[in-house]
Amino acid sequence: MKRTTGAVAITSAAALLLSACGGDSTEDTTDAGGDAAEESAGSDEGSEEGSEDEAAGDDAASTEAPVRDENAELVIWSDDVRAPILTEWAEQFGEEYGITTQVQVATDVRQQFKDAANVDQGPDIVVGAHDWLGEFVQNGIVEPVQMSSDTQGLFTEESLAATQYDGQIYGVPYATESLGLIRNTALAPDAPATMEELVSTGQELVDAGDADQPMVTVVSSVGDAYHAYPYLSAYGGGIFGTNDDGGWDAQNVIIDSEETIQGAEKMAWLAEENALNVNIDFPTMESLFAEGRTPYMIAGPWTIPNVEGADIEYAIDPIPAFEDGGEPVPFLGVQMFYVASGAQNPTLAQEFVNTYVTTEDMQLALFEAGQRPPALQSALDTVSAEDEDIEAWAAAGEGASPMPNIPAMNAVWQPLGQATADIVGGADPAERLSAAQEEIVSNIGR
Amino acid sequence: MSDTTSREVDAAIDNLEPSGEHLKFSSRTPLWVQIVKWGLILLSLVVLGWMAQQIIEAGHWLMVSLVAFIGLCVLAVYATKRAIPAKYLFPGVLLMLLLQIWPLVYTVQISFTNFGDGHISSKEEAIASITANSVREVEGSSRYALNIAVPEGTDVATGDLAYLLTDAEGAYYVGNLDGLEELPADGVEAGPTGRITSAEGWTTLTPQEVNERSDDLADFGVPVFDDAGEQTAGIRQVGLSEAFIGTPTKVYDEAADTITDTVTGTVYVAEDANFVPESGEGAALPQGWREFVGFENYTSAFTNATLREGLTKVFVWNVFFAAFTVFATFILGMAIAILMNDDRLKGKGIYRSLLILPYALPIYVTALVWASMFNPDFGLINNLFGLDINWTGNAWWARASVLITNLWLGFPYWFIVCTGALQAIPSDVKEAAQIDGAGAFTTIRRVIMPLLLVAVGPLMIASFAFNFNNFSLIWLLTEGGPFVGGQSSIGSTDLLISLAYRLALGGATPSFGFASAISVIIFFLVAIVSYFGFRQTAALEDVN
Repeated sequence: MKRTTGAVAITSAAALLLSACGGDSTEDTTDAGGDAAEESAGSDEGSEEGSEDEAAGDDAASTEAPVRDENAELVIWSDDVRAPILTEWAEQFGEEYGITTQVQVATDVRQQFKDAANVDQGPDIVVGAHDWLGEFVQNGIVEPVQMSSDTQGLFTEESLAATQYDGQIYGVPYATESLGLIRNTALAPDAPATMEELVSTGQELVDAGDADQPMVTVVSSVGDAYHAYPYLSAYGGGIFGTNDDGGWDAQNVIIDSEETIQGAEKMAWLAEENALNVNIDFPTMESLFAEGRTPYMIAGPWTIPNVEGADIEYAIDPIPAFEDGGEPVPFLGVQMFYVASGAQNPTLAQEFVNTYVTTEDMQLALFEAGQRPPALQSALDTVSAEDEDIEAWAAAGEGASPMPNIPAMNAVWQPLGQATADIVGGADPAERLSAAQEEIVSNIGR
Repeated sequence: MSDTTSREVDAAIDNLEPSGEHLKFSSRTPLWVQIVKWGLILLSLVVLGWMAQQIIEAGHWLMVSLVAFIGLCVLAVYATKRAIPAKYLFPGVLLMLLLQIWPLVYTVQISFTNFGDGHISSKEEAIASITANSVREVEGSSRYALNIAVPEGTDVATGDLAYLLTDAEGAYYVGNLDGLEELPADGVEAGPTGRITSAEGWTTLTPQEVNERSDDLADFGVPVFDDAGEQTAGIRQVGLSEAFIGTPTKVYDEAADTITDTVTGTVYVAEDANFVPESGEGAALPQGWREFVGFENYTSAFTNATLREGLTKVFVWNVFFAAFTVFATFILGMAIAILMNDDRLKGKGIYRSLLILPYALPIYVTALVWASMFNPDFGLINNLFGLDINWTGNAWWARASVLITNLWLGFPYWFIVCTGALQAIPSDVKEAAQIDGAGAFTTIRRVIMPLLLVAVGPLMIASFAFNFNNFSLIWLLTEGGPFVGGQSSIGSTDLLISLAYRLALGGATPSFGFASAISVIIFFLVAIVSYFGFRQTAALEDVN
């Protein structure tokens, strides 16, 4: 470690200087609990990458919430990456139905929508991550989308499952994302069959002086439950048990279960091998991989623009299993279209999400903007046939577990993240997880 | 002063005494002043009128009367010749009320409610949301192709709405609030999907027209009856061209104030602003409502285990953090300002602009750059100096890193302030000190400092209050961490405000009520500290 020069620090600092304006303020506000909804933070990070270079500097102007245009009959809020594509489709919809439409960019869609909907100034349609759903339902600001069973059948099973809360569908999914293994093919030409192989290959490169870290992923001193989840779930553990109708059960926290602890022990082992390191946070991880100082990075598709920008030859694979059979299951994040319950034009909003978003053409167009595997099966097949990366991301997301969309999840991110950081830092997995369990259960009960 | 001059002064004063001539002069206000005055009064009334209109549309009647009251005040104060002092005080008082007192009152008011996620709306809205969200498609039913119409000859904006439906077999129906009726196939034109495009006796609505009737359509549905004549379900639209048969699975019973789940049979009763299962087992329904909870937020703030354990520790650190920051940034800023104030120094402009740089950069950028520089393994600081300090993992080093960063961020402010204040200190005072035999240090200590402190004393209190609640620095730099002792509630670098934020808004259900209660408590803490601070500065002013 000591060999690492200040170069990493300087580049990450420089990257921050470029990105901080757009990025950090968003992260700061998006994460209600500082840690809450890593997924949304993750996808924000991703979406920011594309626009940061221009966005840097006009922080104040860009973080303000959009104001609904009184003259538009259909108003959609989305992030800045999808907005241009959406504008085209909304305009086409407007022409077909003889109405005016408007797509507005919200920097923090989740919070800004919650705030605006409270005072009936919200949009008709909101584009965002599925794990916001519980909060939205709780506040009564989204309405169900009564998709016909035929239409439901067009979507991949996991993505459709993610749009449900209490058995009801609340939106139309269009993309999925999950963590995968991104490999620097110059350093590690072959995909590792197991986690053990990954670590030993990485370790050899470190010993030979070709790398500084056998592997990188986000840990950070306050922890990151989103990036830790694949290990915790490898032996059947996780965060919540399920209730009768298949939804997550907030009353049944399984963080101190034997299965989860078994996964945490693997984290402790990875930490011993220096594959997990509390001093690696998101920007450090990105710069280490972009500089070719590590062969492997376990991260999401939002890191790809940075990797491509650094001219690193890479390949994407699912996170490998452990030798003793433990299979890491990452979280699945699903991007979807919500219909606001306070919509001024609910009929048009429903028509748009039901007839437009469900088409292959639109799903493909959204794919072009976001580069995430589409949620519509036929669009996914089309894209996978053409794009290796997307096929790989889809494979990495196969069997992934939809991130819990219940509000109780907000009480999990921080305590669980901290627990995993402490375990990486050397704490006893069983003891630390049972402390986290206690903390989480009491937070949920509050 | 000689007699002559004093007599001249008296004469001059006599001339200033109000005489009839004078009054006459002052009452003859120039025309353009009158025009500007009335123009401004009119303008503010127009602006207020416009605001009132906006508020009327939103339906906040209390606010409307408030705006009207302000309008009357403007007229009373500026359109009349009375209340001269009020003419000067009115704008300041008004802005203070609007920007300082109102948020305070609002915060206090919220602190007595359960306002927060899941408790946003009224009970009626919560019930409406619960039942509306529970509508499920009747199993095994098929969908209709839909068009929306009004009877021919009626106005599309007011006519009785009806669904023109085509079922899966291609049969046509008309549905209205009374039920479903078959529609004779003659005179019906349908599109390729079977959707009726026109029917004799009906005027179909364009999407635009449908949109304008959103409110009517929200309450519209076609009832479906079973053989016994009981309503079992309803036909509702999905967008513009499809309809489904659905039924609510959660039904509200107004008399008993309960909600029954028709699928599972669970009865939910209203309790603590939520519908909870009567049996006491299982989860409450997600949508709750906003209500007055009295002192509950305050009692839970004072009995909260985390707050109780952490409060002393966090409070001591918080006071030290704010006090040390003010002290250190002031000393450093002042020292540099005194240096830069020396006439012998060349290129002062360049140095000064460079020194102001940390102040000019947004804290979002600098705090995160510092955070990455403090990274123990990959950070610039450890690597450059060959140190092995665990800046992020060790509580004391983490606190040191926060103080160092804030020193860097804060000293330019004091540099600017002190530079200004120093230039205001007359050089003859310094010369006098020199003649009296004071050395450079004694001059600073005995002459410059006291004069400086009079000017910057109140700013130091402001700076203290600001740093006492310096949320963004802590959040961006350490997020309150490191968290020692196997917990994640009380961080070693947490300030009260970041602790409160995590407690109130970082939990499962962010509660603005609880957050407001803690804000009110912090407000009193800062107020007490500031009170004693201002008493101290008042003592300083005796120096003059």
